Amino acid sequence: MTWTLLYLRARRVPLALAAAVGGGAVVWGLCLAFAEDPDVAPTVVVLTVVLMVAALAPTLAGPDENLERTGSLRWPWRRAAHLLAGLAVVLVVLLATLPTEARFGPAALVTRDAAGLLGLTALCATVFGAARSWFLPLGWTTVAALYPQQGTWGAIATWQGQSTDTRAATWTAAVLAVGGLIAYSLAGPARRDPSE
Amino acid sequence: MSILGVELRRSAALGAALITVVIGVGALYAATGRWSGGWMALAMTIREYLLLLWPLALMAGAWQGRREHRAKVGELFASTPRPPVRRMLPVLVAMACTLAAAYLVVTVAGLAWIVTTARYLPLVNFVVVTGVGVLSVVAAAWLGLGVGRLLPALVTVPALGVAGVLLVGVGSLVPPDRVAAAISPVHGTSLFHDYQTIDSRVSGAVAIWMVALAVTGLLLFVAAGRRARLAAVVPVLLGLVAATAVVPHDQDVLNWPVDPVARELVCTDDTPTVCVSRVHAGVLDAVTPPARDGLAVLAKLPNAPRAVHEDTGVVGFGEDRATPQEGVVTIDVRIDRRGRLAHPAAVVPEIVAGLGVPYDGKCRNRHAATERAAASWLLGREPRSDVGVVPGMLAEDPELNAEAVTLWQRLRRLPEGEALARVTAVRDALLVCEDPVGILSGSAG
Amino acid sequence: MRAVSTAETATTTHPWPIHAEGLQVRAGRHLAVDGLDLALSTGVHGLLGPNGAGKTTLIRALATVLAPAGGRLTLLGQVVDGRCELRPVRRALGYLPQHFGYYPRFTVREFVGYMAWLKEMPKADIPGAVQRAVDRVGLADRADARLKTLSGGMLRRAGIAQAIVNDPRLLLLDEPTVGLDPEQRLDFREMLRDLGTDSCVLVSTHLVEDVVAACTDVVLVNAGRLVWRGTPEVLAAQGDGGHAGDSPAERGYAALLRQHRAEANR
Repeated sequence: MTWTLLYLRARRVPLALAAAVGGGAVVWGLCLAFAEDPDVAPTVVVLTVVLMVAALAPTLAGPDENLERTGSLRWPWRRAAHLLAGLAVVLVVLLATLPTEARFGPAALVTRDAAGLLGLTALCATVFGAARSWFLPLGWTTVAALYPQQGTWGAIATWQGQSTDTRAATWTAAVLAVGGLIAYSLAGPARRDPSE
Repeated sequence: MSILGVELRRSAALGAALITVVIGVGALYAATGRWSGGWMALAMTIREYLLLLWPLALMAGAWQGRREHRAKVGELFASTPRPPVRRMLPVLVAMACTLAAAYLVVTVAGLAWIVTTARYLPLVNFVVVTGVGVLSVVAAAWLGLGVGRLLPALVTVPALGVAGVLLVGVGSLVPPDRVAAAISPVHGTSLFHDYQTIDSRVSGAVAIWMVALAVTGLLLFVAAGRRARLAAVVPVLLGLVAATAVVPHDQDVLNWPVDPVARELVCTDDTPTVCVSRVHAGVLDAVTPPARDGLAVLAKLPNAPRAVHEDTGVVGFGEDRATPQEGVVTIDVRIDRRGRLAHPAAVVPEIVAGLGVPYDGKCRNRHAATERAAASWLLGREPRSDVGVVPGMLAEDPELNAEAVTLWQRLRRLPEGEALARVTAVRDALLVCEDPVGILSGSAG
Repeated sequence: MRAVSTAETATTTHPWPIHAEGLQVRAGRHLAVDGLDLALSTGVHGLLGPNGAGKTTLIRALATVLAPAGGRLTLLGQVVDGRCELRPVRRALGYLPQHFGYYPRFTVREFVGYMAWLKEMPKADIPGAVQRAVDRVGLADRADARLKTLSGGMLRRAGIAQAIVNDPRLLLLDEPTVGLDPEQRLDFREMLRDLGTDSCVLVSTHLVEDVVAACTDVVLVNAGRLVWRGTPEVLAAQGDGGHAGDSPAERGYAALLRQHRAEANR
């Protein structure tokens, strides 16, 4: 129990969690106040998912990655658990809005995008470091959510903004999610200077 | 050593400008058909892509605004004499200049595509629309700087990015039109018709709002204490009130105002006259030969129309359809992705299709098969389906063309004079909105 | 108890560059400097004391980063309290904090030049002053390297360079020799002696040998108060074989502290 608390504080999880949940709550509140339709527009749903993923992205690495690796602890399954816990947070918060008057759904869209984006973020953390791991997911998702394309290649390129019955998009998200999970668990985040 | 030079080299300014140029030019050239119509279309489409560029500038500002906190230089800088305002000035100038330059580079890159084909340049409107775009990007950067200094956490940058997209995008759709036009630089930039522009009062309102945001960001960035930071709320509120006061009330002016000069007709000097709207003046030379061919085909009929004009009516604008002029055929002029005339092969069929009689939307007595048979006889070829020839036609009832072919074949068997008389009779019936069915087959009286 | 020097009787615009009377400074809630009387003239002064004695807080107050909570502080003839105009004092000030913050992407030359600009040096003088400062600390061959590529000792020297770039009349160095190798420490002591000829330098350090070698004057503080003040030779004479330490100065330091703690408990 103590180790878990220290770990969460080292990764600055309380602040990230507050930002993620708070950001989602703000968007939900705005939709509740100003939108006429109880079903929130898919673009807004996708942007809220990427906001929460980007808020959780910096927790993927500690302040000094080199120091953490010198420990004899088995990191891979802990990293995987961290990532899956992040996914659980996003899913719980957004799916909890389904009974309310501003529904962030459908559940399949939220699940697909959250899993795929977390996998992509984890992959970017392996390459660029946790502090910059959200650059690519945020940029790609914004363009994909605002300008979704047709056709198979278009569906793969803008998978975040496709409807839930598009198989190419679902497969792309699944590949990113599983690939990111495995890569991040085994390789860990990139080593960066502590001053970053 | 120039501090501005150091900041340009070492801050986020150049990187942000480079990403802005790449995204802006990439978005433009991914779909050139949206803006190949002319200068105003280009300016408005770049403003539409502020949906991506504005949050980007906001994020760049926030990333730069965290610099003092991230580097932990606060202690060292507190012992220096230079006041915070003068210390922050090089960063403010660097971010503003590079992002403004990036926006202008994107504009110039788009101009390179249309400069040979677009003849109509509404200089004042173009400069105002582009200027408001530049102002928006600079205001986003300064606001980002201020918020980034106020909340230096790492999560501020992506949160501001998403907030920027929601403010600009949703802010142009959800609030009532007056508020949306005042706060979102993207409002009114979707092109519904070719003569669209942005009203100067709307531009003024957006400029006021952006200046307010810039001042807020500036205050937050150079603020030394809590009271100065709280004072930063004032410009936002004042700007919102002032901007919504300036914005006009008329829905049409807010959403798709018409530029009357762009709509004026520009005509050929010699007869038969062919006229297009001023904004399409670049394709006049391309449309004239097929238009005159079409008139020549119709000249077989007595009292044939002698001029071709572009249809400059704007659908749904609330004005009445212009009364058709005597002796004039109207056609649609469309511009393709390269800025040239689109579908040149559709000009002649469009002119001949109604036998020179304009469709005024009220007459119910028009019969497509009869008209097509008559037109095909004039053209001297078999009736063809409109699919693939007339732009916008995706499907057609096959029986229509079969009926037209039957009528045409019957016409062909008649002597020249008799067929011409029947075609003329069809045209005369259409002119007074009488039922033309049966004239060609001779069964009507 | 104060050392009286001949400089006090000379007619100058201000008698002491640093003059603190009953100075009180807060570090958070805790009163870290509590009733300190200090008058420092031109020369190199070493500031010694145990951890938590208030050395860093004192230096921060002298660098005008913290405002005094009580007492009177006069820097270069200008009284320092929360409201007064501090810019003239700060122009003649050089400060190296204990935790030196820097912009990693800047090169040495750019960062020292930026600090010179922040200290409102005339624009035309900055390039020359930067080059002189960089040469003096021995970073001339790394002047165009980015700060993030420098090792710890070189970074510290870059920090010293930014502190001396404006030829300050008041130089405050907090732990300046951290990370310097022995050869560089010798060069640093030489530089300190040179600087001390016409400015008031206050060096806070734990390394007693540096104080003995370079300083003209030693100030010992404990628990926010002045314990002792004198020259390094007198410091060395205070201790004998019964006190802890590997050098006479360390033994003198231990002796003085033990005496002060004994008096405080009485």
